[in-house]
Amino acid sequence: MQRLVKTLVLVSIILGFSLILTIAPEYFIPGEAVRPLAVFYLSTTFNPWIPHLTVNSPEAVTAIVWDYRGLDTLFETAVFYLALIAGIALARGVSIKAEPGNGVGLTVIVKTVTKITAPMVVSVGASIGLHGHLTPGGGFQGGATIAVIPLIIIVTFSIFFVIGRGVTKEKMLVLRSIGLVGIGLTALAALIVGLALGKTAYVFQNMAKPTSEVSLPAYFNGSLISGTLWFFNLFEMIAVAAGFTIAFLLLTYPEKKEGENT
Amino acid sequence: MIPPETLTYLFMAVAGIGSTISVYYAIFEKDLLKAVVYSAIQSTFYALLYFLLMAPDIVLVYLPVAVGLIPGVLIILISKTEREERENAEIG
Repeated sequence: MQRLVKTLVLVSIILGFSLILTIAPEYFIPGEAVRPLAVFYLSTTFNPWIPHLTVNSPEAVTAIVWDYRGLDTLFETAVFYLALIAGIALARGVSIKAEPGNGVGLTVIVKTVTKITAPMVVSVGASIGLHGHLTPGGGFQGGATIAVIPLIIIVTFSIFFVIGRGVTKEKMLVLRSIGLVGIGLTALAALIVGLALGKTAYVFQNMAKPTSEVSLPAYFNGSLISGTLWFFNLFEMIAVAAGFTIAFLLLTYPEKKEGENT
Repeated sequence: MIPPETLTYLFMAVAGIGSTISVYYAIFEKDLLKAVVYSAIQSTFYALLYFLLMAPDIVLVYLPVAVGLIPGVLIILISKTEREERENAEIG
């Protein structure tokens, strides 16, 4: 049986390589020409001369993620939230309280380095997230970068230090819910404006469309915010950073107290 | 003088081979902590590949998740179980 599997793997590797070397360039490897769908996205993502189709964001990936295909990203966020709820449900009834004298952590050198680098990492994460509509990056990228810092602080300073400073599971859950409510309200923003003005508008609408003239402001105080994209990135960043922090708090909580490990 | 496109492909080939070697070591390493480190090295090569393939958005999400968060979570989990992988584990 094992020999049969090995033979099959070997034969499929040989067949796959011969396929790649012979006929694959004609059928599977895309040519250099840009496909029509990509041409549409690239020509409308930042194009002030087509005001009823553009997103006003020079970063095409964020425009696709939060505007052209915004509903997909909303459900992606919902999936992450459900996974987190499952984790919290597994840890139900566990109350984490700060115990003074128990949080020792690592040496002074490691703590000092962490103190210096933590603000840097947080600012880089905020820059990635809040400039997501201008440069590569976005809400999830920024949030994941910020979430590295709670993990490092928990490891270097111990979890009791973090909880003692007020970063509890409940507060992070509130922060995460604020992020999700913000995402929902941003998705409905154009619809609310349309209802207030008595005009046609859609859920997940950002700029004006051929059938709807409601448009969210692309510029704020002279700087480009691309309508809803900046707010989506901001709230997604908060939600992702808080969500990862909850997961780390639950994972690093010691199951047995010191000295009880027998 | 090597044309820049060839240099890009050369870097991609080196990163691809390096990531494959790291995966081999990560699978066959019995010390799980070292396996996590090899896995992080593989992720770094993948991030380089994504960058050379002109996908900076993926690089920015891949670096913190695959080099920062996943090794951190795995190390926490290893600290709760055993560090060595055993061949004939009698206790399930």
